[in-house]
Amino acid sequence: MFNTGTIYSNFTPLVKSPVIGYRISGEDVLLILKKLTKRNFSEEHSIMKLVELHNIDGTILDKCNVVYFKSPNSFTGEDVCEIFIHGSPLIASQLEQLFKDFNISGLRLAQKGEFSFRSVLNNKYSLKQAKAINLIINNESFSSLEYNKKILFEGDPVSGLAPLREDIVNLFSEITASIDFVDDEEFNFKKIIKKARDFFNNCNKLLHKNRTKIEQKNICKIMLIGPVNVGKSTLFNKIIDKDRAIVTEIKGTTRDILSNQIIDDGKKFEIFDTAGQRSKQGRIEKFGYKKAQKLSKEIDHFFVLKDKNTNKADLKQLFKDFYINKNFTMLETKSDQFSYNSKNIKINHNLNREDLFKRINLSSIYKRYIAHKNHKLEFNSSEIEFLERILEYESDILNERDILIIAQLMRNILDDFSYEFGYINNEDVYDRVFSNFCIGK
Amino acid sequence: MEHYDVIVIGAGHAGLESANICEKYGLKTALISKNYSDLGKLSCNPSIGGVGKTHIASEVDILGGVICKIGDKSAIHYRVLNLSKGPAVWGVRAQIDRDLYAKNVQKYIKSSKIELIEDEAINILQTNKKIIGVECLYAGKIRSKVVILTTGTFLNGKIYFGNEVKEAGRIGNSSSKKLARFINKNFKTMRLKTGTPPRIYTQSIDYDILDPQPSENYGIFLSYFTKQNTNKNINCYITKTNNKTHKIIRDNLDKSAMYSGIIKSQGVRYCPSIEDKVTKFGDRNGHNIFLEPEGLNSDLVYPNGISNSLDKKIQLKFLRSIKGLEKCEVDQFGYAVEYDSVDPRELKNNFETKKIENFFLAGQINGTTGYEEAAGQGIYAGIHAVIKMKKVKFDNKVFERDNSYIGVLVDDLTKLGVTEPYRMFTSRAENRLKLRTDNSYERFAININRKIFNKTDYNLIYKNIDNEKKIISKLESLKYSPNDLMKKKIKVKKDGKIRNGFEVLKFLDPTTNNFKKFFNITINQKLLTKIYFDSKYEVFYERERKSYDQLNKNKKMNLTNIDFNKIPSLSREILEKLNKYKPVNLHDAGKISGITPSALFQIIKHKRNKGTKVA
Repeated sequence: MFNTGTIYSNFTPLVKSPVIGYRISGEDVLLILKKLTKRNFSEEHSIMKLVELHNIDGTILDKCNVVYFKSPNSFTGEDVCEIFIHGSPLIASQLEQLFKDFNISGLRLAQKGEFSFRSVLNNKYSLKQAKAINLIINNESFSSLEYNKKILFEGDPVSGLAPLREDIVNLFSEITASIDFVDDEEFNFKKIIKKARDFFNNCNKLLHKNRTKIEQKNICKIMLIGPVNVGKSTLFNKIIDKDRAIVTEIKGTTRDILSNQIIDDGKKFEIFDTAGQRSKQGRIEKFGYKKAQKLSKEIDHFFVLKDKNTNKADLKQLFKDFYINKNFTMLETKSDQFSYNSKNIKINHNLNREDLFKRINLSSIYKRYIAHKNHKLEFNSSEIEFLERILEYESDILNERDILIIAQLMRNILDDFSYEFGYINNEDVYDRVFSNFCIGK
Repeated sequence: MEHYDVIVIGAGHAGLESANICEKYGLKTALISKNYSDLGKLSCNPSIGGVGKTHIASEVDILGGVICKIGDKSAIHYRVLNLSKGPAVWGVRAQIDRDLYAKNVQKYIKSSKIELIEDEAINILQTNKKIIGVECLYAGKIRSKVVILTTGTFLNGKIYFGNEVKEAGRIGNSSSKKLARFINKNFKTMRLKTGTPPRIYTQSIDYDILDPQPSENYGIFLSYFTKQNTNKNINCYITKTNNKTHKIIRDNLDKSAMYSGIIKSQGVRYCPSIEDKVTKFGDRNGHNIFLEPEGLNSDLVYPNGISNSLDKKIQLKFLRSIKGLEKCEVDQFGYAVEYDSVDPRELKNNFETKKIENFFLAGQINGTTGYEEAAGQGIYAGIHAVIKMKKVKFDNKVFERDNSYIGVLVDDLTKLGVTEPYRMFTSRAENRLKLRTDNSYERFAININRKIFNKTDYNLIYKNIDNEKKIISKLESLKYSPNDLMKKKIKVKKDGKIRNGFEVLKFLDPTTNNFKKFFNITINQKLLTKIYFDSKYEVFYERERKSYDQLNKNKKMNLTNIDFNKIPSLSREILEKLNKYKPVNLHDAGKISGITPSALFQIIKHKRNKGTKVA
């Protein structure tokens, strides 16, 4: 990984498109630009120039925009240039061939992650920030996107792990003091273990809270609820456009929960069909209903279905049984059979899918969902992995009676932590010991 | 003109150990001390040992040193700290009778071949950066191949009582100004400070109203070779400061040398003065004071816990506010000492100075504190002088930091330097579980030499080693399946793994009866405790070995010739740290607080770039 030389790579996919971008970083950037454009860019920092790219024989390869960033004011901290050629993979291959023909020693195709790596080497970003860049590109959830952006723009101290450093140093100093300075203060093994337990509980809590958040991709979950035989499955089938739920005239056929994902206008939804609610349920149906109730905590929006036969008490019961806030749409079904005089949305099984979608207006539901999904993340996935590593020590430490073994295991945690946040050495620990405890004669 | 192999200057704990070990290995050795009566003088508290300190002392003992043996001969009170924890951190501490200790040291010197020179060393003689001898005030020039300097706090020493200042190394001694000039001219030095409490007359203390702390002897002594202590054992007593005491001190901080701003040098965090304790931990109701008798026939008491540099009148006032001390009379008031010490990074790994060949420094002059730390350095420098002079075979592996506390001490001092007087803590050792006082004979066994022990001691070591070997091999021949163990009511994982007796030992309650019942082997408690913990800690030894190997790889990346200022991408803060600590290899760089992995990457990158350009 510690190779030197000037590196280049495309930063857009090599497919037919309006434009394909290349980035070059290293000490030979100016030389390459000179060969390519016959111009000197050394005074052109951060200015986009429309130039001709020349082949070695003087013919023109492409006419396109080029921008040069002078070291250290660039992404990697080295001299960098970016070339925006016309979006033809053929031109791209000609350009790469040209780089080879230049015969500049050390000029080569970048390895995966090498640009970011150089930016870490040159202190443009911390290791944590570089990881964040990677996570920003490869994530599907808005909340984790926000968190990683924060790390990238504001640096390590905003990481949710940062406060744990204090906890770890404090705990380790108390353990250290209880061994090395028994003469000076009174230490209680049980209290120390309690502090360790609190520390791990805290880690566990953070981990749990954030893991479920991170795993949430941006999928808006919609659940269909309503009394039996109101037409939930009919609606479900129409939305998912598949003959999946069994639709019959017998009451209570959807015994368990069915779900399916759809993409509408680029937005992801997961639709849940549930067993209906009625006063006399079969055992299995009851089970299905209960399951749906439980699941309703995680639901972003409800379609509450009713028809002319639905009485107020049934509806009231529904709102009592499910975790519904204001996130619901009331749908009146079988509008071909009955006439309603409410402002609720009316649907029936004769509607084609397109008309149905116009009425239920998924995109406004999605908008609300995004607006409400204001989860604040405190960790990214690499930090989660780190937390998991710390928690591997939990049972060993909490079940140990020998304070020396506990100290040894805590030191391992300290070392792991050092790797994430810069080294914590003995002196840092002693500083804490001597400021927290009155040590010495 | 006399001609010696080694001249040791200074007869404190460091000097004594250096001279002793050089003489035992057959070098012609001289020991220079200003006063015969200074030999074996305990300059500070009358005790030896404690957590971390005993650990070094036991290593000195097994290397052939004298501190533990003479300590046990002069002990009048024992305690074992941390007895409720594992033996890796047990710290036996002995109260020492000052007169007995001095007498025993003097007796020992007389009985040895060490030549004592009562004189003041005023200059170190060298040609072409190589030692040729020492110049003394009265005896003039004395030739020697090696000089070991162990002058403690005597370099430019200054003593402070409140606003009163005296030039002296320790009360009653003039400071070695001439020698100081030589050191300051040749080496980087720094100013450190330390303090000492007042000494109180025994008769003036009301013991009847104080809690006694009786001597507790569990048959654990300082020295591996001591079988019993024949001295009369006496009590220590505990009393406490109170709010009235704190108020007196707080109201008079302007009369404290350390607080009025007269002393600017770095103090010791773990040895705070009573002024410090009151200022930083003023919310406490009281701070303990241990009243330690200075000897069986001494009329003085050392009140441990109240070192200070207050005005004499104030000292008496605050003392008399303390329970039991209401009518106390003071012989010698507490004071702060300021002195020069050499930056220990001036030393090579063997404690020889980098600038002058065959010139060794050991003890408090290297920025440490404590008798045991001094003794450890003394014997270390002595052994390395012997290695240089006689090319004796000595396995230096025992002095690596994963094998001994002396190794940790040497590594920390020569690599990181000090910012305050350095004291040993067990937490400084990464390999703490292995570095125990009950196995030092085993760790150093490879270097145990017939020459340096008398026959009884030598036989004792080997009798014990042989006995242990026999028991271990018996244990290893016993095999147990998980089922066998279940029948014997020992819970293990049902992994089908056959365990030998040594591996099973850690599941037992380690009493000799249990051991006999389970394995049908007779064993003494001392050995049982040792091998029980070996069995228990084995998995950690293994882990530590692996990480140490990793560490050694990083150690191979030498950084001594790197100019960190030439790495443009290092932040100013990191640059400052690197320049301050001057790490010699990548591992040491990583140990500096606040050095980030990316800074290490940059150093690696810089180093590799440089390498390729040269090639």
